[in-house]
Amino acid sequence: MGKAVIVPSMSRRTFLQAGLAAGTFVIALGGHSYAVADLEAMKKARATIRPDGRSRLPPHQYLIRKLRPMGGSAGDPAPGAFRLKVHGEVESPFTLSFKDLLAMPNIEQTVDVHCVTRWTVLDARFEGVLLKDIAERAGVKKSARYVIFEAAEGYTSNVRLREALAPNVMIAHKHQGKPLSLSHGAPVRAVIPDLYFWKSAKWLTGIRFSARDEPGYWEIRGYHNHADPWKEERHG
Amino acid sequence: MANLRLRPLLRALHRDAGYLGVGLTVVYAVSGIAVNHIADWDPSFSDYERTHHVRTKLAGDDDEALSRAVLGELEIVAAPREVFRAGDDQLDITFDDRTLHVTLSTGEVLEQGQEPRFFLRAANYLHLNRGKRAWSYIADAYAVLLLFLAFSGLTMLSGRKGFWGRGIVLVALGAAVPIAYVTLS
Repeated sequence: MGKAVIVPSMSRRTFLQAGLAAGTFVIALGGHSYAVADLEAMKKARATIRPDGRSRLPPHQYLIRKLRPMGGSAGDPAPGAFRLKVHGEVESPFTLSFKDLLAMPNIEQTVDVHCVTRWTVLDARFEGVLLKDIAERAGVKKSARYVIFEAAEGYTSNVRLREALAPNVMIAHKHQGKPLSLSHGAPVRAVIPDLYFWKSAKWLTGIRFSARDEPGYWEIRGYHNHADPWKEERHG
Repeated sequence: MANLRLRPLLRALHRDAGYLGVGLTVVYAVSGIAVNHIADWDPSFSDYERTHHVRTKLAGDDDEALSRAVLGELEIVAAPREVFRAGDDQLDITFDDRTLHVTLSTGEVLEQGQEPRFFLRAANYLHLNRGKRAWSYIADAYAVLLLFLAFSGLTMLSGRKGFWGRGIVLVALGAAVPIAYVTLS
């Protein structure tokens, strides 16, 4: 029997050309999603200087108009089931229910949000309780150096105490005047505007004051331990 | 040569491993693309928000009765997981996949919910190993299967058209891409 000759239905050259064309098409589609950003608004934000002397738009960020959910393992959104454990290096640990949280001094503040994936939302409105008020009530011990935000399904994020107690860090239950949606961390999330947003744990269940640093969920997976958007501290 | 006797066996194993891996490759590849672009969309769920208006007067302190009135008018038959008085004028009715925020004085109802994306929700659940436990073993086995496919693939053809010809150039090119990316970024 003679050796069978296999004739390819497509030459390698044709195959490579088709692959190149498909790749160009996909890249063009991806580029389109970035082109929709408002360039004038980005220029203005970049030129605006914050009170701390830094540009309002951190380097290599682009503007979008509303928060993207960015996934995560959701917790129980039922406010009646919500409990926030405040513990660790504190004089008086306590647990807050949703009603307890509402009974504390609530404020509304407008902040800018920066995601490590490079999008930024300006003027995001959140309503909730300042973390420094919660810390004051708990009586943070001098030994505390870090705050560990604990959330559903074992998610954690670590923030230096001084930064966690900044006047714009809050425990929020409303966004844009509406209760938080499930994908944004209902019923309660942390909001730490001056660090990349993965630090702002959604579906919050605990705030632990700690004497030592404990890298959180993303930090042990290669993301930066500090996460300053102006220093582009994206990866460790 | 032993090498030559091994090749048909490896080829057969490579073929069968390939068949075995198709299902999981589809799951991991499609989910990988979806999750790579998480900055642009939620790869697992689509969020929605709707507003309703309830005409029934919502007065009184019986939250369960108020909830029944709202659900009755909105023709929702599912039983809520929780009815919670979030404020004097605010009643939250929570289901597994949505929450109704009712403003009692006006009858305005804000419905916030999310729907799982077809196929992607399940694929991402598996890819991100949200379930843990037994899936870790399956994912590990799949990773070993991929390693076997990669290395057995190197031996598929002998001679200039095999590893020692075009093969080594393409392997070097494939390895150079991640090395160059990490080095240059």
